Amino acid sequence: MKMIRAIVRPECADIVSDALDEAGFSSMTKMPVFGRGRQKGITVGNVHYDEIPKTLILIVVEDEAVDEAIKVIRYKAYTGNEGDGKIFISPVEQVRTVRTGSKEL
Amino acid sequence: MKEIIAFIRPSKMKDTKKILDELNVSSVTAIPVLGRGHQRGLNTVLSGIDVHPEILAKANTHGMKFVPKRMLVITAQDDKTELIVEAIVKSNCTGFIGDGKIFVCPTDNAVRIRTNESGDEAL
Repeated sequence: MKMIRAIVRPECADIVSDALDEAGFSSMTKMPVFGRGRQKGITVGNVHYDEIPKTLILIVVEDEAVDEAIKVIRYKAYTGNEGDGKIFISPVEQVRTVRTGSKEL
Repeated sequence: MKEIIAFIRPSKMKDTKKILDELNVSSVTAIPVLGRGHQRGLNTVLSGIDVHPEILAKANTHGMKFVPKRMLVITAQDDKTELIVEAIVKSNCTGFIGDGKIFVCPTDNAVRIRTNESGDEAL
């Protein structure tokens, strides 16, 4: 299993989560975060913003579904401008559902 | 070293902290998050709540899209992982949908900033 952490624009978060739902990834977690990337924030006029608000979407999927999930996120979060976000994938060793104790997703 | 990421009900934080204290695991990071599982949020149809059919016809049947949850991040030694997972399962199990999920991820290293210790000593 793999954990996908996608950092997307807050205004894209709803579109991405709806699209993931349609693609069959209904379970997800989202949280507001602040961050910056390679461009070191953003400068509007004379004001420099060091940290930009983003939304972190966190989903855990089976190994074979990783590519599809990334494709959905990339397609829906894309605007072509700097600040579209990043996707990180990390391994998950073990899963447990609290209610049933089952070790499957 | 393992990173345990648990999604639990916010109301169960007290019980969880208590049971983790008993295991001598005091370091926990808790983040308020929004999430949903297989039931797609608070779904009136799937979770078995009796809603009057008239109300159901008027509103969308999906209910709440995201449910507020608490995300716990605990980093622990390999041999303690199983104990912590069992403890969280035990203290959070109510038998109803929405009890949460626990993920165990491998972690390479940890560093304590104050003393610059790394590895298991830093936990």
